Amino acid sequence: MSEIIETLQFVYGPQVANGLAIGVAVILMALGLTIIFGLLDVINMAHGEFYALGAYLGITLAARGASFWLCLALVPLIMAAIGYATERALIQRVFHSGDRHTLTLLLTFGLAIIAEDAFKLAYGPNPYKPDAPISGASELLGIVLPNYRLFLIAAGSAIILAVWLVVYRTSLGAMVRASAFDRNMASSLGVPVDRVYAGTFAFGVALAGLSGVLLAPVYSVFPTMGKDFILMAFSVVIVGGMGSIKGAVIAGLVLTQIQSISSLFISPVWSEPLVFGIMVLFLMVRPQGLAGRLGHG
Amino acid sequence: MAEAALLRATVEAGERVQFGGQNLFAGLFVVLALAFAVFAGASGDTFFFRLATEALILAGLAMAVDVLLGYTGLLSLGHALFFGFGAYVSALVLKNVAPSFWAATGITLLAATLLGFIAGFVSIRARGVYFALITFGLAQVVFKAVYNTREVGGSDGIIGIPQIRAEFGLFSVDAQSPAGFFLLTLALVMLLYAALAYLMRTPFGRMLVAIRTNEARVPFLGFSPWQVKLAAFVVAADTAALAGSLYPMLRGFVSPELFAFQASGNAVIMVILGGSGTLAGALYGASILTALKSVIGSWSEHHLVIIGALFMLSVIFLPKGLAGFALPRIQRWLGRRGEKR
Amino acid sequence: MQQLTIIAAAAAVFIAGQAQAQSTIKIGVVTPLTGTYAGIGQQVKWGIDLAVKEINDKGGVLGRKIETIYEDEEANPNVAVQKAEKLFQVSKVDFLTGTVNSGSTLAVGQVAERNNRLASTTVSFSDAITGDKCSPNMFRVNAKAGMQSAALVEWMVKEKPSPSVFYLGPDYEMGRSTVAAFKSAAEKRGAKSVGEVFAALDNKDYSPFFGQIRAARPQVLYTSVAGNDTVRFLTQLSEFGLAKGLQIVGAAGTVTAQNMGAVGKAADGYVTGAAYSAEIDTAENKKFVADFKAAWKTEPDLYGVDSYGVVYFYKTAVEKAGTTDTDKLRSAMRGLEWQTPQGKKTMRAGDHQAVQDMYAVKVVNGKFQIISKVAGEAAVGPDTCTKF
Repeated sequence: MSEIIETLQFVYGPQVANGLAIGVAVILMALGLTIIFGLLDVINMAHGEFYALGAYLGITLAARGASFWLCLALVPLIMAAIGYATERALIQRVFHSGDRHTLTLLLTFGLAIIAEDAFKLAYGPNPYKPDAPISGASELLGIVLPNYRLFLIAAGSAIILAVWLVVYRTSLGAMVRASAFDRNMASSLGVPVDRVYAGTFAFGVALAGLSGVLLAPVYSVFPTMGKDFILMAFSVVIVGGMGSIKGAVIAGLVLTQIQSISSLFISPVWSEPLVFGIMVLFLMVRPQGLAGRLGHG
Repeated sequence: MAEAALLRATVEAGERVQFGGQNLFAGLFVVLALAFAVFAGASGDTFFFRLATEALILAGLAMAVDVLLGYTGLLSLGHALFFGFGAYVSALVLKNVAPSFWAATGITLLAATLLGFIAGFVSIRARGVYFALITFGLAQVVFKAVYNTREVGGSDGIIGIPQIRAEFGLFSVDAQSPAGFFLLTLALVMLLYAALAYLMRTPFGRMLVAIRTNEARVPFLGFSPWQVKLAAFVVAADTAALAGSLYPMLRGFVSPELFAFQASGNAVIMVILGGSGTLAGALYGASILTALKSVIGSWSEHHLVIIGALFMLSVIFLPKGLAGFALPRIQRWLGRRGEKR
Repeated sequence: MQQLTIIAAAAAVFIAGQAQAQSTIKIGVVTPLTGTYAGIGQQVKWGIDLAVKEINDKGGVLGRKIETIYEDEEANPNVAVQKAEKLFQVSKVDFLTGTVNSGSTLAVGQVAERNNRLASTTVSFSDAITGDKCSPNMFRVNAKAGMQSAALVEWMVKEKPSPSVFYLGPDYEMGRSTVAAFKSAAEKRGAKSVGEVFAALDNKDYSPFFGQIRAARPQVLYTSVAGNDTVRFLTQLSEFGLAKGLQIVGAAGTVTAQNMGAVGKAADGYVTGAAYSAEIDTAENKKFVADFKAAWKTEPDLYGVDSYGVVYFYKTAVEKAGTTDTDKLRSAMRGLEWQTPQGKKTMRAGDHQAVQDMYAVKVVNGKFQIISKVAGEAAVGPDTCTKF
């Protein structure tokens, strides 16, 4: 009996706790992605680069003396502005053509290529690591977790809740969901659909940037960091259902737990391909994911 | 009845112009390539011949991507999977089985068809974004697998591929010879083009376009889109693998980077720059991108930004690529010629 | 259209090349100027540029000035091969260097063979390059993985007799073989292995492995991660409180000037085996470090000093042979001794591996302090190259 408890405490416990911290990080990334998918039907292949941009902006502001908390507040605002501009200047141009899916995919793909090189030009190829604003570690039932990760779990959960509230409990959110459900109808009802689109994209981008700032002390900042989470984030979005926040949360938690615990049994290299395999399975068997699409219930 | 005949004649005339235009566009490419060969051969060059041969090999990969993107409407972001597969199979055959051109290409074709069926079966149920993601993920998984497997060279790749002579009965081509191998590759790639172009004119090819235009309606025509898409996927896989099989003959080595996302991404850029849905566009796109990378890369460290920007501008302002610029002019010229008869 | 422009450009380069061929010696450098290894490529460039300037200021080699031509290989062997061929064929370089990852070095070695020219790497440390995949046209002036391990093992067993060691490496060829080489060398000297795990390359989060490490209770942790992976691994290790009382050692490429800043305090106490430290207390090295800092405002690291040294290697060989003819140069290089800021190096004829003194160095406040030394002959290991 005590052996079971010990196994739970020292083997599975830490894995679950770590998986939780990673899960919150992935969910934050996936949230922005799924909202952009769900509403604009746009695959933002540059989402990882916006995540990276947020992290780099955080470092730049910090170098000018801004505290971590100030960065946390400022970066999403700056990112939202950048996202809004990107949507109007780039996405809108190809949005109304017949080949929209392919073109936006290609466009954001091109953007990602440029962004990565631009980061290297502006900040150099070597990594940066901002200090975590909260240091030290805590022990709970024999499981050790750094305090900053506990903060991440708490803050991440709060953000996810806030996003859910905004989308489902405010009139702003209602406009977004209406536009996703039926663009023309929403427009004829007086919803400024163009601005809603741009605003939603901005929101998704701001979320990505926020994740960048939050995760920088844990995962460090370097030009190719945009690729860190992208496959996981896309897997979460697809398994959870394109455009579903609830789905992204559930899928995010489940998939990161699978990844974390599976590394106990199989070579860790295969954990991510395993998650990817689950995504492929979903695509073959239940392409709408766990929870379906934004606005569509 | 007269109207039906007239309609049919009009459609056929239009298609003659359309396909004829594409073939002329491709023919122009061959002329330019031959002119290049004469010039380079006269100056005893090696490097530019090999660079151009590499461009042609990549053009094969680009054409494969075009079959899926330009005709079937499926964006493959992981097509380097088949290109790298072809390169590795060919390398292993040349090194371990027999330094024979036919053995390498033949075995590659068989293996790639099998792989194409398997990968296609997994990917084809998805459309649009999902398809792109699956192909991307598959290529990543295979890239990592090859990177980690010492038996196929691991991260170092495989060097020491023997240099071969390709026997064609009446004559043979030495892979070492820059001009000779360039011409051989040109012939092979144009053969691939001809085969694919012909395929696109058959009912099968038209079915692909139908799927791209409106997949939902295809079953009402009495065909299963599923089977057609799978066939297209296998065709694209075989094309990419055959192109890849030439790579170790040219460079004498293979490395896992042939599977990397950059290779897949470059193929897509080539198709867009050249013009999707034309096959010939891929030929031009590959040449342009290879030349650009070589030239810009020597001048500046920022070549990725420049190429990325060029690509984005092309997507926004010139979505039909170079072909979009050149083809209408060629077709108008053809059409005028037709009228004169 | 495109092809014609290329032809015109090529013709121009040809003509210009012919005119210059007699007066300068051309050294081609194929190195990653973009991509993940750009930081290393930067040090390579700095080292070479400094050496070339010094040599040219003193009159050049055999009265001829050295000209360097750089090409970006993007840390991709396929690009490296293309650029190497361009340098040999179009720019007509006499000697090639600069490749960083082992795949590129091996492939470029083959290109050098086909063009009948010589090349050397200054960074790649895969044992195979001067081992079973050796090439008569490829030389290595830097230390290989086996030598780094030897120095480290030597120090470790002196410090902690029969230590318990846990191994964590990135799951790819290089990561695994580095761990395997150290492990076998350490076990021969009495070390106990208490665990081994391989994380994915580019792994973000190492916390899933901490439970295992904690349970194994090792005295020493050996790692072969590199670049960004090092930053994450070491900082996360420290955040979880695992670094207390644990001696962390690893490969030479794990903590370098490129990621030291980001690793920060978590790197303190890290020990590795390397052929260089900027703290080496000789007049030659002090002068080199001062000159390097004056020119590039940064301290030289392993890659910078070895790249600086390769130019002098080439110069010494050419002067000994009296010519840049490939076969005569190759004979001159075999067994050559030349001076570097690290001391005297000898190029072993049997496998083209430079024999040099190795050090165990410890990171203290961002600097590599020397804590032990192993003589070159003892560290270099047997000649396993059978091709020549």
